[in-house]
Amino acid sequence: MKNFLDKWGKAKPNPQFDQAMKELRSRYPEGEDPWGLNIKWVDRWFRLLWPLYRHYFKVRVFGEEHLPTKGAYVLVANHSGQVAIDGLLIGMAFFSGIKKPRVIRPMVDRFVFKTPFAASILTSLGGVLGDRHNCQMLLKKGESVLVFPEGVAGIAKDSSDYYQLKEFSSGFFRMALVAGVPIVPLSVVGCEEFYPFVRHLRGLAKALGLPALPLSANLWPLPSPVDIYIGKPYELPATLGADALDGEVEEHVAAIAKEIEKMLQKGLKNRRPFLLAKSP
Amino acid sequence: MAWPAQFEKVLVIGAYGALAQAFMDFVASTHHHVSLLGVDTRQPQRENTDRLRWQKIKYNRSHFEKLFRNDRFDVVFHLGRMSHTVPKAHLRELYDINVLGTQRVLELARRFHVKKTVIMSTYHVYGAMPDNPHYLLETHPLRASAKDPLLRDIVEMDQGVSSFMWHYRDEMDVVLLRPCNIIGSDIRNVMTSYLIRPYMPVAMDFKPMFQFIHKDDFAKLLAKSLSLPSGAYNVASGDSISMMKAKEILGLPFCPAPMMALDPLLRLMDIKSFIPAYFLDYLRYSCVISPESLFSELKLSSSQLTSYEALRKLKAGLKDG
Repeated sequence: MKNFLDKWGKAKPNPQFDQAMKELRSRYPEGEDPWGLNIKWVDRWFRLLWPLYRHYFKVRVFGEEHLPTKGAYVLVANHSGQVAIDGLLIGMAFFSGIKKPRVIRPMVDRFVFKTPFAASILTSLGGVLGDRHNCQMLLKKGESVLVFPEGVAGIAKDSSDYYQLKEFSSGFFRMALVAGVPIVPLSVVGCEEFYPFVRHLRGLAKALGLPALPLSANLWPLPSPVDIYIGKPYELPATLGADALDGEVEEHVAAIAKEIEKMLQKGLKNRRPFLLAKSP
Repeated sequence: MAWPAQFEKVLVIGAYGALAQAFMDFVASTHHHVSLLGVDTRQPQRENTDRLRWQKIKYNRSHFEKLFRNDRFDVVFHLGRMSHTVPKAHLRELYDINVLGTQRVLELARRFHVKKTVIMSTYHVYGAMPDNPHYLLETHPLRASAKDPLLRDIVEMDQGVSSFMWHYRDEMDVVLLRPCNIIGSDIRNVMTSYLIRPYMPVAMDFKPMFQFIHKDDFAKLLAKSLSLPSGAYNVASGDSISMMKAKEILGLPFCPAPMMALDPLLRLMDIKSFIPAYFLDYLRYSCVISPESLFSELKLSSSQLTSYEALRKLKAGLKDG
């Protein structure tokens, strides 16, 4: 514990973080972007969370060579962990854990924007309401977006469903077709174990207006080491338009889900021991 | 900006508002062939000049029709929407002026062959909702009244103009403008009052984004709106800004507070009177509109109109007293 706290005090994000912050500041010199991302907040929170990212969750990123070097893209990932910490870790990985950092805008479920504090914190850190119009506007402005096509079903899983993909919605694929940007599949291994599942509090969730409320034994996430696998960009079929038939689109969505599933299985084989893993 | 030569006689309804006065002064000083008549239900405070006349009038009385009949206006700017902050404004009165009054203006404009009618609505018609995407288009449903019945009159007014515009599309030219928050040191709307008062409570648990346009810029855009084809247009900056950032730019102290405390705090500070209930929704959820159609029709770029600039102009205006 002492070792960890010492590291917290000394740990500083790497040069990529400074590079990403510099780019953000030059893009939005007023300190805020039109969707509410606040540069000071990103700076403070990422610095604060960096030791957790690096030495607690010990995040490793594989396959960054697959990332397109220019232009926006749609990141499509599996969702896991009862609380969407995976989104935060992916955001941090792309902001400071890869050689060519960039700000990723996670598409957030609409219930979050009705929730006090979650709404303001997520907005300030770059989260955007998961809506097709929003997604299109962001892509048009050259921002890359992060989508969890499983939605809430992905994070509110029973233990028996860990690392099993839930049904993918197809909206992200149509958005990529409209914007003409590549889709990059992504797998996150390690987040399912943050909050061991106890039971679903369906009644309470309904009373609070939440889509799900899985009960866990712990409030603080367990120190499960996390690996992020970046896949090769999925080639968009030139023949398909944004209003293509569901059947035609589903075929491609299933192929992307399969690619994520493949990376998940690979990641599970390469998992590090739960507590003894070293920081990367 | 060239003012079309065929638009010589101009009627401005709701002329004693600071915005309408800024618009009339701008037109009178830049387009010397234009003569303007400003009417309002309030008593005129300004002297008539050769090209700038003022008159007190009730919109629903017969002499309003006489005005149209005798003066034969080329253009009508209807800026006379009654605000929900007007003291003692009853729903009935709001409905009469905003809905029936606007319908009457449109009917008279059609009957007396007004070449162009420009009507000012508001972005409030879209409603502040948690599921509002950013940059709402003009085709987005007008949901304000579904949430707050107090806004029924403005939604009905807006929809009435749209259906009138559609029904008489071959007979008349109507432009419906839905501006974002118009601000200015002498503007007396809710947003300006909320912005310029120090120590106002600002929600810390929600982060809606706002768009602002300075009244002088809006006055110029009103003049430019004569070149717009019939239709509804959002009028806003291409950017948006949070309330805390806006207060920071104005250099005003504010009290961050959870949303649930905002209403009691406003009551405690005895300023609830000028803040209508629906306004709290706009402090909770974003209602950011897309000015894309306006920008593309008027060939404007987003850097020409920014919320930051509008706030800086407001600050300068406040400093000048």
